[in-house]
Amino acid sequence: MQEQTLDCLGEACPVPLVKTQKALEDLAVGDVLIVQIDHSCAMKNVPEWAREAGHNVEIEEVDDGEWEIVIEKAK
Amino acid sequence: MLKKLSDAIGKNDYYKIWLKDAWPYVTGAVLLSVFQIGTLAVTGNPWGVSAAFANWGAWIIEAFGGSVEKWYYFSSDGAIAVLERGFLRDPATVRNLGLIAGALFSVLIASAFKIKKIKTKKQVVAAILGGLLMGYGARIGFGCNIGALYSAIGAFSLSGWVFAVFIFAGAIIGSKLLVKVFM
Amino acid sequence: MADSPTPAVDTGTPGRIRRSSVSQTRKKKASTIPIGIVVFALIVVVGILFAADQANLAFFWFTGTVFGYILQKARFCFTASLRDPYLTGGTSLTKAVLTAFAVTSLGFWAIQYAAASAGLPIPGQSFVAPINVHTAVGGVLFGIGMVISGGCASGTLMRVGEGFMMQMLSIAFFVVGSVIGAAHFGWWMENVIVHGRSIHMAEIFGWFGALVVQLGTIALLWIAADKFAKAKQGAAAH
Repeated sequence: MQEQTLDCLGEACPVPLVKTQKALEDLAVGDVLIVQIDHSCAMKNVPEWAREAGHNVEIEEVDDGEWEIVIEKAK
Repeated sequence: MLKKLSDAIGKNDYYKIWLKDAWPYVTGAVLLSVFQIGTLAVTGNPWGVSAAFANWGAWIIEAFGGSVEKWYYFSSDGAIAVLERGFLRDPATVRNLGLIAGALFSVLIASAFKIKKIKTKKQVVAAILGGLLMGYGARIGFGCNIGALYSAIGAFSLSGWVFAVFIFAGAIIGSKLLVKVFM
Repeated sequence: MADSPTPAVDTGTPGRIRRSSVSQTRKKKASTIPIGIVVFALIVVVGILFAADQANLAFFWFTGTVFGYILQKARFCFTASLRDPYLTGGTSLTKAVLTAFAVTSLGFWAIQYAAASAGLPIPGQSFVAPINVHTAVGGVLFGIGMVISGGCASGTLMRVGEGFMMQMLSIAFFVVGSVIGAAHFGWWMENVIVHGRSIHMAEIFGWFGALVVQLGTIALLWIAADKFAKAKQGAAAH
């Protein structure tokens, strides 16, 4: 099991989602991707996309206006 | 007192639903529509955003001693009157300022405000180029996503649907550009 | 219309996914709810000041703040609705924007039809713009601009309120672009716009026909958007 962190702080839509999609492609099933974001819209569309794609997702509010989206690749 | 009130708000069950968490998109769609309809009913015109930006530019030009009198765009009686009344008496400007204030309130009450600095030079170029293209496009296209699209379609103007097709095409070109150049 | 019964933001069950790195959660600062309350009070005060000047300014101020609040809270983004189908394959915002078109159309139709039946000028007529090459050029330029700068006009204003420096810069150049556009507007008017036609759909289909065609078009687009996203999702799964 591998874990990778993706720094998307300061990036506006759609950059976080596009980077997340790309990063997940290179991971194996069971690997974990942690996406760091501070864009309120990405905090909604990244988890939404990841869930619809069938992955396990958790959101952590790490600070005011800053989140970590933890995605476990499921397929 | 302010602290007590804040604590009470923060602990309330409805705080999480109404003020803290993101709403479903459809809730936004319905509420925006309600206020769009109210806006048309009260003011006789639907919601518009970008026309005010041209006025801001005109006032800036005037502040530096320039003049837009001879410009066709500002030659109508309505436009002249708006420019004469000034920044804080232009309804469209006031609404835009309100929009910023409303968004600011929304993130503060949700404890999610953060100043997001510009990270890369690419972002600077993207912001400048994007702003210029939107400004120019909105002026010759009779508005932005709100005035020329949402409000125009709502007002049963065929131009709204035509505009939609071409913004969509532009968005595809923009997406390619973004992924290849600005990311 | 179909909306998932799950909350908009499901935070998942914390700790379910095993992660080796330590969570970055910093000690939470004091909440900004008090500042939010102060800003709320200021919004009300500014509104009262506007009302003292001109009542209609207060209306514009308050509806502006409400639009800003709704856009931020729902993360509503017109840019994403037009960009995501191509870029990420997602259409949930596209469907939401279509829903907004449908609901708004119903209300606008009632207001316009009532005015037309009474022989009054139709409200919103000034938003029925002429169609010609300028519509295409303006739309394409606007579409490119909003995607690379990360927000259209309303979205950019909202993000300024959220504290995005990048969008503050793009607003400044939105103003510059508007000035250039306004400066060239005379040329466009003389050579292009004047040859275009403004068409209210009721002129072609009649009042009831316009409503049927409009809602029908929206419904078809909504179904297409829904099927498109599912097809993309299905393709990605294999």
